[in-house]
Amino acid sequence: MMPHATLVRNLPQHNLLKELKVFIIGTSKGDRQKTTELTKTALLLLRKLPACRGAVFQFFCKVFDTAASNYIQCIETEINTGKLPKVSETDELVISEIHMALITLVSENPIAWAPTISTWSLELLGEISTKYSGRAHISTNLNETLQLWMGCRAARTLVDINTKCLSSLIHSDTESCISALLDTSVKHSPNFDWVVAHVGSCFPNTVITRVLSVGLKDFSQNRSFDQVRSSPKLKSVVGILGHLAGSHAQDIREAIVEIFQWSLKETFDDSDSVRFQKKATVPYVLQLAFLSDTLLSSICKQTRNILSVEVIGKLYHFIDDWIKYFGTPEALEEHIISLILRCETEGIQILELILSCSQITKMKGCNDAIKMDIREKALELLENILQEIDESVRHGYVNPSILIKSATFLLEFSTTPQQLALVVKILSNELVDKTIPPYSEKGGHFSIVLEQILSRHIQRFSRSNEETLDLSQMWENLLALLEWEKSDKVPILKSRMISRALEGNFIHLTSVFSSEIHHMHIIADILDRTEIPSAGSSYSPPIRVILNLTQSTVNYFFACCRDSGTSTKYRGFKRSCNILRRLCVYSKVAKVLALRELLERALFRADNVLFGAKNHSVHDNSEKMLLKQNKKINKTIPLTKHSTVFNGGIIGVGKRKATSQEAVQQEVVAHNTTELINALKACCALQEENKFSEISLDSMTLLSLLLVQFVSPDVMYNGLPWPEEEFSKVTIERDLFIRRTFTNTPLLWDLLSFVAVNRPALCYCSVLIRALTATLIHQWKSMGDQSKSNDNAHYEHLIDTTVKVLDVMALGQLLPPPLNCIRDVLPSLRCCEIVDILRDCIWCYMRDHIPSPALFSCDQNGIYWRDPITARPPERYTNTLRIIMQRNIESFGSIYAQMFINIPKHD
Amino acid sequence: MSGSSEVNLKQTLRKIEYPLCAQEALKKIGELLCSRTTNIKSMDLSLDLMAEFVFWEVDRRGNKRPHPLTPLAELELIEILFEYLSNIPNEATRNTLFLNLFSPITANIRLGVLSKLVSLAVGIPNSNILVCASTWMQQLGNTSISSCKLAESIVFDYIHLATKPEERLKTLPEIAPPFVANLLTAVAENYYVTKKDRKYPPDVLLSCITNWISENSTLCMAAQLRQAALPPGAIAMEATTPIAGLLKWCVLAPIYRQDQEIYSKLYLALLNSISEIPKSNPPRAINVQHLTAIVTPLVQYFRDLKSRDESKNLIITDVPLQLALDRFGQAIQIALSVNAVYGNLDELFNSLQNLPFNKLLSIVINRYNQNKVTVIIV
Repeated sequence: MMPHATLVRNLPQHNLLKELKVFIIGTSKGDRQKTTELTKTALLLLRKLPACRGAVFQFFCKVFDTAASNYIQCIETEINTGKLPKVSETDELVISEIHMALITLVSENPIAWAPTISTWSLELLGEISTKYSGRAHISTNLNETLQLWMGCRAARTLVDINTKCLSSLIHSDTESCISALLDTSVKHSPNFDWVVAHVGSCFPNTVITRVLSVGLKDFSQNRSFDQVRSSPKLKSVVGILGHLAGSHAQDIREAIVEIFQWSLKETFDDSDSVRFQKKATVPYVLQLAFLSDTLLSSICKQTRNILSVEVIGKLYHFIDDWIKYFGTPEALEEHIISLILRCETEGIQILELILSCSQITKMKGCNDAIKMDIREKALELLENILQEIDESVRHGYVNPSILIKSATFLLEFSTTPQQLALVVKILSNELVDKTIPPYSEKGGHFSIVLEQILSRHIQRFSRSNEETLDLSQMWENLLALLEWEKSDKVPILKSRMISRALEGNFIHLTSVFSSEIHHMHIIADILDRTEIPSAGSSYSPPIRVILNLTQSTVNYFFACCRDSGTSTKYRGFKRSCNILRRLCVYSKVAKVLALRELLERALFRADNVLFGAKNHSVHDNSEKMLLKQNKKINKTIPLTKHSTVFNGGIIGVGKRKATSQEAVQQEVVAHNTTELINALKACCALQEENKFSEISLDSMTLLSLLLVQFVSPDVMYNGLPWPEEEFSKVTIERDLFIRRTFTNTPLLWDLLSFVAVNRPALCYCSVLIRALTATLIHQWKSMGDQSKSNDNAHYEHLIDTTVKVLDVMALGQLLPPPLNCIRDVLPSLRCCEIVDILRDCIWCYMRDHIPSPALFSCDQNGIYWRDPITARPPERYTNTLRIIMQRNIESFGSIYAQMFINIPKHD
Repeated sequence: MSGSSEVNLKQTLRKIEYPLCAQEALKKIGELLCSRTTNIKSMDLSLDLMAEFVFWEVDRRGNKRPHPLTPLAELELIEILFEYLSNIPNEATRNTLFLNLFSPITANIRLGVLSKLVSLAVGIPNSNILVCASTWMQQLGNTSISSCKLAESIVFDYIHLATKPEERLKTLPEIAPPFVANLLTAVAENYYVTKKDRKYPPDVLLSCITNWISENSTLCMAAQLRQAALPPGAIAMEATTPIAGLLKWCVLAPIYRQDQEIYSKLYLALLNSISEIPKSNPPRAINVQHLTAIVTPLVQYFRDLKSRDESKNLIITDVPLQLALDRFGQAIQIALSVNAVYGNLDELFNSLQNLPFNKLLSIVINRYNQNKVTVIIV
């Protein structure tokens, strides 16, 4: 009998042992190729030899981890290359195999397998979520993470397995699964939150009630107050309920009410632990409310339903048991008071309840002593609450405190100086404690008030359906306060309360300034009056804010230019100049940014029409910006449709259309130009005003170089020296471009004049002048023998431009006398004579006298100049001019004398 | 073995990767423990080798390792143990090694490995290792905490987790009868324990046990029938039979409202097993104290009943209580009749006096008293 039996049993023994060995060898080698077979073996072992389950699950962990890693890598490859690589088939196959097998196990025997498998899947999800957090695209919110992971077969499968486990246990015992959920959440929060949210939304009721009861069980085992405070499980409970509060607030409320009602019922067959839990319920709920405002408001809304004088009579007997969770009876009372004070709604009901408690006369099951006790306690509680309210008004313990709230209200809505003065009076009252954090850290209560308003204002842009916030009055009031302070007439404001608050909120203030349209003038006024930044002040704003402010001020400047108003517009120019001057003196970076922005926008952006530019760039809607095209992730990049672009238009599109635009009035242009020059002057201002010049030469050089950078399209031949005139053939295209820019953008002449006045900055613009002169020589040449009598527009334009160039050169002292007077001679000359003068006198002189700052000398007042007497050019540069003038002496008599005969001399 | 060669041996083993070094270490431990001349020193060395190279509990300096083995590494270790132990031809050597690997001092920390090893031996199955486990349970006491934990984990693996447990475990008594007997004794201890949260055996376990016992009426005695091969000099411990423990289940089932029919079947199989206990002098099958232990919960139930209801009539008509007392009386009578109970019988009968009235039980008590009187007279 026995030998036979052994024989029969040898067969499976051999097989199972062999499978076990295959599994062990396979897993220790980690051979990717054999994963499919290995999975089959693992599943067989899981069914036949349950002792291997730990190892099998560890192997599955590796499989899922690999799959998750592959998935993340795929996504990253897609992000980087735009192509979605093929998903590994092995992963899919293996995971679906495991999925099926585990689901079968769970459905066959849920009570035994579901807790094990659910715990395993949750832990693995936690590990995977943590391990790959921050990979692929960084997800900022829960939904994105959820979407990312639900796209992953491995994670989706795990979630599904876990869901199956929970749903198979839903009627028996979900405790172990929920406990595992809590534990994993404690360990892997916040990366694990998406799983909690998902599971929670699948089984809201189960998860909420179980999470509450598991939390309660854990809570009731706490022995001391310190344990309560440091319990990670409690935080996890709050976190999970917080997730679900958004969509299942009602369920949470009901669950809390239920658990509370349950704790009130006493039955005989309660075990010790249940009795313990019932006693811990109220402290538990109080702690939850303390940790989460959402839960607090949920509970507050239920006060009417759950608390009555009778219930309080019942609870009276438990109070001794509650104390250990809070440390002392006083701590418990403090806890309750702070909760009551934090109530946003239904606080009245609580107060009513306390009031009615203070008046109870009869109550079931309570003797007189107890009633007395309750009455006294209620009165004491009421008194403490009132005291706390009083304290918090004065000291602002709560954030935002009532003090802050009331000051905020006043600042926003007061319409008379008397009302506004109250703000200052309230905040500087001697009863207000000025040593506690909000006051001492952030620059005073008023700073907090401003912070509240501004952050609300900023949030309005991020949140869609926020209440409409009209801050007009607030800005007015703020300005008024600042004026009061600056006037030095209000003693109470000597502490610079308002300025300090503005400094404290400068970041917010500047960011509001950059986005605000309606109140930009008043904000600019406030910013101007703060006199920030200044070198002497203790407050130094961060560079980010400086740049932000610079940019917004430039924006503001152009907004003023566009503005049709009169006095506000001009005050605005003044303000922006003030702010820019302060900024540019304070920070070099701000100066560079301001100059660049002002120039670029005035010359090349849509704003340039304000300065008389003829805007040729037509923004055709069909024309797509390359940036936008690049932003689209396409597999192919479309080639540009048009390969040939001519000056006259694009082939296939037709002749370039002349754009019709509303011409800006001449005097507006003139005024805007003046203001722009003023703004540039402000940017170039010297730190300390000098008697003879307020402009920093370095800044002018910078401006001059910027002009070259903007106007000259080339990077070569931008140097100061003038080459042989012959060489201009090489640069002709570039020269024509520069010339056209000057024609289209008359503002450039004004800028060039501005530069010329501040010698020797014009030297750096040498290339521009050279280009203009070169094109002029060409054009005069091609005019041929047409004389000035052919009084046509072309001639007028040409002579006009020539005179402008010569004017600028004379202004910048690049041309010494008598060359500086050529402008007066030219209109009377013939074209060929003009060509000769331009070539022989101007070009040759410039060629041989490189326009560089070295030509200038600095006098004792710091002014650079060329002495016109010593700098007189040698005769060979003036001979042509002289001969031509002599030939036309009948018209040039007096001017000839002035240029060549009556020459001033040094004694 | 000299000190330096000891160091050399450890150095050599350290060069081998874990868990391969466990294999080599086991060979060495086998040599050390089963050689003709074992001394304290070689015992110590073998303990060191086990802790460092086999179970990965300590590092080379003897410090506890911070992380336990991963499940996969543990499985590799278990497979090595399995291979090594099952291929030792001599039973005494096998048992010696097994008892040393899981000695009473280390059994607690190595219980995880032990349970999985035995579980594998049940599943594969392998009688060599099951015999080792049986001997181990017996030597540590088959109702000891370690044995009970082992039994619990086997029950969890094969009754709760495995599919079709009855089929898989059907042949286990044929493969290793003493192991099953010891396992049953330990399993019986895990349920019907008088605590707040009383646990009852699952139906599958009940039917499995019933099948085993009714098919093989000597199974309960299997551990006592076969002498374990022990290392030289070891004292063989007497195995407790599962009879009293399982009887407790059957007797107490009615009063805890466990009314499944399977209890009746198990009870019948138990009675058959008792009636077939081979004669031995002195009797060694059932300890009288184990029977006396059943009285306490019965008395407790009786008191509860009494406190709930003032009228005493109910007690006599309380069907579960009467059924429990009937079963108890019958079992005692049969056990006495085959002379299988050892210990102070008077103690049992004294405590039986505390129980409420039951016709059958009172006959049994009377009969015992009569016999005693006759003995005295004789």
